Amino acid sequence: MTHLDHEIRRLKTTMLKMFLNVERQVIKTKKALIEFDKDLAAEIRETEKRINGIELQIDSDCENILALYSPVAIDLRFVLSIYKMNSDLERLADNVDAIASYILKQETPFSKEIIIRLGIIEMFNICLEMLENIIEAYENEDTTLARKVYAMDEQLNVYNNKVINSISPYILDNPEDLQKHLYLLSAVRKLERNGDLIKNIAEELIFYVEALVLKHKGKNKKPTIIS
Amino acid sequence: MNENEYKIQAKNVDVYYGDKKALSNINLSIIPNTITAFIGPSGCGKSTFLRLLNRMNDYIDVFSMKGTITIDGKDIYKPKVLVEDLRTNVGMVFQKPNPFPKSIFENVAYGLKIQGVKDKKFISERVEIALKQAALWEEVKDDLKKSALSLSGGQQQRLCIARALAVDPDVILMDEPTSSLDPISTAKIEDLIFELKEKYTIVMVTHNMQQAGRISDHTAFFYMGELIEFGKTTEIFTNPKQTKTQNYITGRFG
Amino acid sequence: MNKIQINRIKDQSFGILGLLATLSGLVLLSFFIGQIFYEGCSRIDFNFLQDLPSRKPEKAGIFTAWTGTLWVLCLTTLFAFPLGVSAGIYLEEYLKKSKLADLLEINISNLAGVPSIIYGLLGLEIFGRILHLKNSLLAGALTLALLILPIIIVATREAIRAVPNSLRMASYGLGASKWQTIWNQVLPASLGGILTGVILAISRAVGETAPLIVIGALAYVPFAPSSPMDEFTVLPIQIFNWISRPQHGFSVNAAAAIIILLGITFTMNGIAMLLRSKWQKKINW
Repeated sequence: MTHLDHEIRRLKTTMLKMFLNVERQVIKTKKALIEFDKDLAAEIRETEKRINGIELQIDSDCENILALYSPVAIDLRFVLSIYKMNSDLERLADNVDAIASYILKQETPFSKEIIIRLGIIEMFNICLEMLENIIEAYENEDTTLARKVYAMDEQLNVYNNKVINSISPYILDNPEDLQKHLYLLSAVRKLERNGDLIKNIAEELIFYVEALVLKHKGKNKKPTIIS
Repeated sequence: MNENEYKIQAKNVDVYYGDKKALSNINLSIIPNTITAFIGPSGCGKSTFLRLLNRMNDYIDVFSMKGTITIDGKDIYKPKVLVEDLRTNVGMVFQKPNPFPKSIFENVAYGLKIQGVKDKKFISERVEIALKQAALWEEVKDDLKKSALSLSGGQQQRLCIARALAVDPDVILMDEPTSSLDPISTAKIEDLIFELKEKYTIVMVTHNMQQAGRISDHTAFFYMGELIEFGKTTEIFTNPKQTKTQNYITGRFG
Repeated sequence: MNKIQINRIKDQSFGILGLLATLSGLVLLSFFIGQIFYEGCSRIDFNFLQDLPSRKPEKAGIFTAWTGTLWVLCLTTLFAFPLGVSAGIYLEEYLKKSKLADLLEINISNLAGVPSIIYGLLGLEIFGRILHLKNSLLAGALTLALLILPIIIVATREAIRAVPNSLRMASYGLGASKWQTIWNQVLPASLGGILTGVILAISRAVGETAPLIVIGALAYVPFAPSSPMDEFTVLPIQIFNWISRPQHGFSVNAAAAIIILLGITFTMNGIAMLLRSKWQKKINW
């Protein structure tokens, strides 16, 4: 094994750590929101710092590999895709960290009825399933599995598109809870964003393994073979 | 691109050293005014193929070849071809700088001299142009009578490039031109080669893949006497089609 | 005593032995030359150089001998130089590597070691008798030319071989023909080595005695040669002749003549060394 191979292995492992940490954050955030668990929310916010640390580590490792080894072909695609996935995961973690911060800002719990009405629990579940898939796809370099997340992201979009209509009656009926309503609205947006981010990660994995660029292809996913 | 537009074409070329087959079934087309790099592990045949283009393999007793090599559409191995003529059109720069033990001026003027050019003014002008093209003029213009051997390694190699340019060839062949030089001289010469492609067609053998990546337009990967892959350099280095090519350029074998 | 110390001692012992070996040769030589100088120095004057041989030692001079040597030198060079250098160029640059070429190379080297008297006999038969040159300068020069031809050929080949092939390739790469490459690059680069070899070969010829005696160079020649067909003598023969005489005066003459001969030899070797060092400075691959 060459020196570069060692570094690539190491980076793969660190990245997996990042994936798993972020997944755990999402699981915790779902629980904290449903049970209005302030202690758990504080834990989430604390862990966010650690995740930021791992993000910086991965950035630095990528930079070093590029500078020292001048990787080409599949090695280069690997480093570029890890670099981007890293950024996507960090933003994902940021989004759930924001939701945790909403919990800490409220004295009284959110309405379970509204949570269910907006579909937040489903959205969390879909998000977690997407994460589970993408992590497995990453570990096994399975691009077929990676492609599965596209369909799931569509479901998240549906909830997102409906949210204004769903939340409007509650805002009109209970204006004193406006802040809570707005936070829940924001949580939906964040979860929809997370779906987009996981889709990006899938694109980057496919770029790495197949050298296919699926970015900006819209509904018509005709791949560009990089040249 | 149609056939006549290629500068150099090799079709079904086999090369033998006695009974040993050194190159098998090479098919390659080189576009004018581009830099083509040949890469591959030691002994893969890339230098042998390069030398086919100016028939320098002829000096090896046991050499024989099959297939055709055409430059500007003309078969250069036809019996009537004058090798000396071919070489005034296809110049060569070697791995280790090999200036003649004469003055700088005489080195650059040699190619013209052996063609029988006598006009002193013409020769002087040509020498100056060639040295300018080789980015050496400013450093040597004050004393062209100095011995070529008193120059540094990088300067000597640029002198060899000027020497090849003085006869105004169309094609320049370079066999690992910077492998014996330090990084700064290497960088200077790479810049020089890159500029030369405006006027000339350049074919270069290199062991240094980063070099191929930096300056070549097309890259050919040779392995064990075969041409494994030939394509745009950007493609070869971001997404090669053959596994062997990928393994070589990522350093996983050879 | 450990290994390192033993090696040290071996080192130093060899240094001392080497020094002794060198010195012993030099010491003996300088002793001999010193003796010669002491004996013969006083005898050298213009008369000695201009006088013809005579039965009286005080009157005997080396005029015919050194003019003969000069004639032989020039004529031998005239024949041997172009022939030897051309042959060397042909053998090294044109002849393809083959069993025949190897055979030729070995045989030419062998010829360089053949005793000079054999050349004398050869010269006597071919030049002296068959070509009817008898015992003229021409016969002697041709014989000596044959003698030193292998030396010049070998020296030429070595000098040409020392020219790196990269130079030839550079020349061919620019479109030069084989002869253009040889004339413009290989020969100028090897000239120093060739000339060194030629001068050393001629300086050897200057000192040859046996073959010339066989040819029939005379010991007593009362005139300086004026044409290649004339009879002649050379310094070594004159020296040999004088040493065989009983009178002390002749040994003094011989000593003086030896000094002159050595002078010529040392001068030629000196020129050869000068040329070699100048050539090596000019061309450092």
